[in-house]
Order: sequence, then structure tokens, then C-alpha cells
Amino acid sequence: MNLTIKQIQDSGRLAMISVQGDLDRSNYQELVARARELHDQGIEQMLLDLSQTSFLSSSGLVAIHSVALLMQGEQPSDPEHGWAAIHAVGNASASGRQQRVKLLNPQARVKRTLVQAGLDQFFEIHSDLEAALSSF
Amino acid sequence: MVWVAAELSNLTGIRDFVRKSVRSLGAGPALVDDLILAVDESVANIIVHGYRGQPGEIEIEVRKDGADFVVAVRDQAPPFDPTRVLPPDLTLPLEQRPLGGLGIYLTRQTVDHVMHRVTRDGGNELTLVKKAS
Repeated sequence: MNLTIKQIQDSGRLAMISVQGDLDRSNYQELVARARELHDQGIEQMLLDLSQTSFLSSSGLVAIHSVALLMQGEQPSDPEHGWAAIHAVGNASASGRQQRVKLLNPQARVKRTLVQAGLDQFFEIHSDLEAALSSF
Repeated sequence: MVWVAAELSNLTGIRDFVRKSVRSLGAGPALVDDLILAVDESVANIIVHGYRGQPGEIEIEVRKDGADFVVAVRDQAPPFDPTRVLPPDLTLPLEQRPLGGLGIYLTRQTVDHVMHRVTRDGGNELTLVKKAS
């Protein structure tokens, strides 16, 4: 997996991470670590570009949720707790989808995994980059 | 059939093995993707929760049983039956769902049957079955 980071200059608070390759149990903590670094640098909003993400496991789902928690200024739950790691975002977004992290263009297989776990309830999924950026 | 060390760094190779094996048996793209996810989740759980970082080996067998595609995953970790993890009640809000079980939940979502048995030598055999249609 490779992570490419692009800071969106207009706001200074928004960044985009492109996840290239497979996001699985062996590497999902890399994504969380990069998001933590960016949050420490002042980033509060994140667009996750999943257009080149070829595989997403439950660990990848937990990583995406952890990124959302970090952008909200919260600490992620222990990722090995599975659903528990996702509860916190569910709590934070009881009134609808959270707005700090949005997803761009997941491939069909990856989108299916997001839907199967019910995470599409909490993350906006965009198919157009400009529309996604302007939605923040 | 393949034997691999129980290490997370082997997940990519395991997915490649399942992809090639199931394709060679005539599976279509959606079915291949479903089996890859189910095997990945199962093997990752064996490595993390079964062997708990200790050295071990995992055996993966891919076969066709009639019209069904079958993957058997065998290990020598302490016996654990993931099929006994209760499925979440999806009518409940996320915050009320039970802890754990995300991987087995996705596995159940992607294959038709998940079966576990303790082998004669005290290990685990997890069988994942995906129907062709």
C-alpha cells in the first residue's frame, strides 16, 4: 500500500490522502498514523481517495473510522475491538453523517464492503473530486 | 493447497493464491472477490487472535465441490469456533451492537456457509463455502 498526501491550500485545514493498493490488517495502522501526523499539523478535515484502493478488509474499515475520530480530535478505540472501534463514530454522528471525513470514488468491491458493514450511513461517498472538495 | 507462516505480511500472497485458484476453477469476478475477503478476514483472525503473534502455520485448500467453491483453512492454534460469534442485530444502532466480530460478520456476508471443526490433532479447520450462483 502507498499513501499519497495532498494538502488542500484553500482552507489549510483540509487534506486528501490517496490510498493506493490493498488496505488490510498488515498495514491499516499506517493510514491511522499518517492521519494522526496531519491532525497534529492542524488538519481537521480529510478526503480519503479510494479510487486506487484495490482491497479493503475490516481493518481498513476500522482505519477509516479511526481517521474520522482523529479529525474530530478524539482518540481511536483499540482497533482489535471491531465494532467497538466503530461505535464511537456512530455516537458522534447520531444526527447523521459526520462531516470531517469523506470518501472519494471507491471501486465497486471496496464500496460493497463499506455498505455491507453499514458505514455508508456515516460517510459521504463522492464520485467527483471537485464536488467532494467543495462539500467541506 | 498452500502452507504459509502465520504472519500478517503473508496476507497479500494468500489473497493472490485464492484469486488464482478460484479463477482456475471457473469462478467469476464477484465470487472471487467475496472468497478473497472471507479468507483474508479468517486468516487475519487466526494470526492475531489464534496464534497471538506466536510462530505457526496455516494451510489453505481451495477446491470445487459440485457447483460450490470451497476454501478450507486449517491451523494449529488453540481451538476457537468463530461461527459461535453471534451475528449483530443490524436493526440496532451501531453503538448498541456487541463488541468484536466485525471480521466474522463480513465473512458471513460474503460466503454462503461458514463451518468450523476441531481436527483430530486438536487444531482448527474453518470451511468457507460459496455457491456458484
